[in-house]
Amino acid sequence: MKIDKTLDCIGLFCPMPVVKTKLELETMGIGEVLEILSDDPGFEKDLPAWCKLSGEEFLEIKKEGNIIKGYVKKNR
Amino acid sequence: MRDKMTIILFSSEMDKALAAFTLATTAAASNMDVTIFFTFWGLNILKKSRFAVSKSQNILQKMFNFMSTSELPISKLNMFGLGPWMMKKLMKKSKMASLNDLMKLAKELNVKYIACTTSCGVMGLTKENFTDDVTEFAGASTYLAEAKDSKINLFI
Repeated sequence: MKIDKTLDCIGLFCPMPVVKTKLELETMGIGEVLEILSDDPGFEKDLPAWCKLSGEEFLEIKKEGNIIKGYVKKNR
Repeated sequence: MRDKMTIILFSSEMDKALAAFTLATTAAASNMDVTIFFTFWGLNILKKSRFAVSKSQNILQKMFNFMSTSELPISKLNMFGLGPWMMKKLMKKSKMASLNDLMKLAKELNVKYIACTTSCGVMGLTKENFTDDVTEFAGASTYLAEAKDSKINLFI
């Protein structure tokens, strides 16, 4: 998977990771992939839910220790 | 058409405002149109200065604005302001977004603020008493028109 940008949300709590994801995607082009790093346990469920709401494409979640890596493709 | 969310923010407690703005910013970040209707105590959140006392107010209105200020209490364990102070400290320590941070984000994400004109009238508050964040001053019909086609509606 080609990653176009990485967003560090370590240490941030809900709603900051998804709000930052939204703002970051606004600066990106359609089809580009954003990687988001978070240590908020809720992010694992929140990211796919947010993608469903916003219409962006959820790709996957990877877990490394207590770090959650989320991948989203800009759709719109 | 974009989905809509409407919130009536009736309370002035910091913890309740945090809940409202957490949901408002998340919804706005999910491409929803969000409107918050501030009424009664909720107007305290938008006061420009702590007391919002002005010359045009009568004595009862001045007393009300003096006792109910933009220095927001919390709904439990307020302890004359010690509670909010501790909560702010804890939130900062755990890097949770403050109410100010969330309100700034809400504006960045175009969340619409309506201030209730009836409550303003009762408390003797005018446009000059509020921050520039207020989008419009209106009443129940304006709110209901927004809420009618909104999918999520909360009273906080």
